[in-house]
Amino acid sequence: MKNIIVCVKVVPKTEDVSFDPVTKTLDRSKAENQINEADKNAIEYALVLKEKYGGNVILLSMGPMFFEPFLKIGIAMGADDAILLSDRAFAGADSYPTALTLASAIKKIGDFDLILCGEESSDAGLGQVPSQVAEFLDLPQALFVSSVEIEGNKIKARRSVKGGYEIVELPLPSVISIELGINQPRFPDFKRKRWADKEFKIKVWNMKDLGLNENIVGLRGSYTFVNRFIETEPPKRLRRYIEGSPEEQAEKLYEVIKEIIE
Amino acid sequence: MIDAWVYIEHDSGEIEDVSLEIVGRLNEIKASLPLRITGFSFGRDPGEIPRKAISQGVEHFIFLRNDLFSFYDTQSYVNGIEGIVRERRPDIILLGATYQGRDLAGRLAARLKTGLAANAITLNIDEKGLLYTGVPGYGGRFIAEIVNMKARPQISTVRQGIFRKLPQDNSRSGEVENIEVKFGDFSPRLRVVERVRKDVKDITKSERVVIIGNGAGNNLKPIEDFARLIGADIGVTRPVADRGLAPRDIQVGSTGVSLNSKLVIIFGSSGSNHFVSGIERCKNVISIDVDRNSNIFNYSDYCVVADMFTILPYLNRRFGGQ
Ligand SMILES: Cc1cc2nc3c(=O)[nH]c(=O)nc-3n(C[C@H](O)[C@H](O)[C@H](O)COP(=O)(O)OP(=O)(O)OC[C@H]3O[C@@H](n4cnc5c(N)ncnc54)[C@H](O)[C@@H]3O)c2cc1C
Repeated sequence: MKNIIVCVKVVPKTEDVSFDPVTKTLDRSKAENQINEADKNAIEYALVLKEKYGGNVILLSMGPMFFEPFLKIGIAMGADDAILLSDRAFAGADSYPTALTLASAIKKIGDFDLILCGEESSDAGLGQVPSQVAEFLDLPQALFVSSVEIEGNKIKARRSVKGGYEIVELPLPSVISIELGINQPRFPDFKRKRWADKEFKIKVWNMKDLGLNENIVGLRGSYTFVNRFIETEPPKRLRRYIEGSPEEQAEKLYEVIKEIIE
Repeated sequence: MIDAWVYIEHDSGEIEDVSLEIVGRLNEIKASLPLRITGFSFGRDPGEIPRKAISQGVEHFIFLRNDLFSFYDTQSYVNGIEGIVRERRPDIILLGATYQGRDLAGRLAARLKTGLAANAITLNIDEKGLLYTGVPGYGGRFIAEIVNMKARPQISTVRQGIFRKLPQDNSRSGEVENIEVKFGDFSPRLRVVERVRKDVKDITKSERVVIIGNGAGNNLKPIEDFARLIGADIGVTRPVADRGLAPRDIQVGSTGVSLNSKLVIIFGSSGSNHFVSGIERCKNVISIDVDRNSNIFNYSDYCVVADMFTILPYLNRRFGGQ
């Protein structure tokens, strides 16, 4: 097997993001960042495939330079290489220019058999990048996949459909999105982490390296704009505690449920 | 006239509810705007699909016919619809945020060089035909209202269980076009070799739902008994579905479904944002968790701090079980 490319994003922890009611914007400044959960599942899956079929795992991410240490976590998990697509012009991209930029980098890498993505990111959660990367590369796709087997130059992938799953057969290379939560991502290897932090150099490619221009990347290359943010008001709940011994609690709960049902 | 198309997704002729829910919402908008609602489907044989869709508020139906459409391959479907979209230039294309709808929408938007919003929970259109979609982010804590002023069609997927479909009315009429799609030398590179599916309950419409959280471990039986005794359907949190104990279709939350129940009872969930966004629209919420500080209690009307396995036997007996 040749290279497995894994598309990775760094996202703020959901719980840490707050809403500024005055400016009506999101405040991510106090948020801790992490590798997007589904992408971690994809990295883990790529490493499993590498162990089984060989090849190198290359992490690919578009984002600011502060993504570097997160990509090194992926390296410490066992990935062989990491490429960060970083350029001021890439900022503010919606899914279209994001996928276009990733696809340009994948073309530049050239030598690959499989592209894995996480099913969606935990921030915007659109889940559209895998499909659009596949379109820009003119490759077949299978999304929401929980396992992959490779036989010769064919892949058998299990993808979720309503009420169950399908086993689909695709050629290599193809684009696959990995379902969130399908595995337990391994911990970074301690020694490898030290090596990665000290010696490993992440490749950084900018717009020129990819042969792109300002009009098709980042905010200018985007089609959608956020008109406004609305903070959702969770509905007011009674928050009434039912206390007592378990038996008493059960009895009170019975009364409450009865009343609601009737 | 604003031209809005809705993907009428079907599985062997059975239409997805979310497709009709979108049609329902467009009919509400149509009350105050000149809007034409077109449905489109792919398949081998239209059967009853166009008639059913029309009886639920579609005014014009396009059925794209080809033998290749008997299974779902993203590229076949995108190639199949591309020509007619380019020719007729709809202002808006909406799809249900199902597995298939989400798979199709991204590729279609990239092909048509246009923007895309996903998983919308609000839909509005202004008199200029601009589509405003409310897209939940960060597990549903915020809604970003998204608009595409740059290109047409404006494409979005729409979350299921949010809008109401119209009651069926067989006296509604509409025009049906059957179009035979010609592919030239394209042949699909994806092949479905096996299909395993069960009918699953659509819990977005259930009046009572009992939710199994991760705190239940692998011991689902007492909760399932309880649900049966009070006549409730079962839902689960994400980790329970991840562990394969329940199908993803009954997972509640930002990557699952949203409930609209009168009563929901939750056993052993920590109440993360990604989960609670799915119970926002429920009328009465009861939670049972051993941890007094569980965040789920902030989203509950009745809070029971208890070990579920201690309390469930009493409850089940009280409701007439063993
Ligand atoms: C992109 C993304 C999307 C996601 N989408 C969803 C989604 O759609 N739906 C969803 O649910 N999650 C989703 N999640 C996951 C979510 O963030 C949480 O991890 C998940 O909801 C936790 O599930 P839980 O509350 O059941 O489990 P836990 O967080 O493990 O909580 C278990 C609870 O059970 C209690 N407990 C333990 N034992 C007992 C006992 N014997 N009796 C009573 N209580 C007990 C504990 O005190 C604890 O509060 C998503 C995450 C991401 C990143």
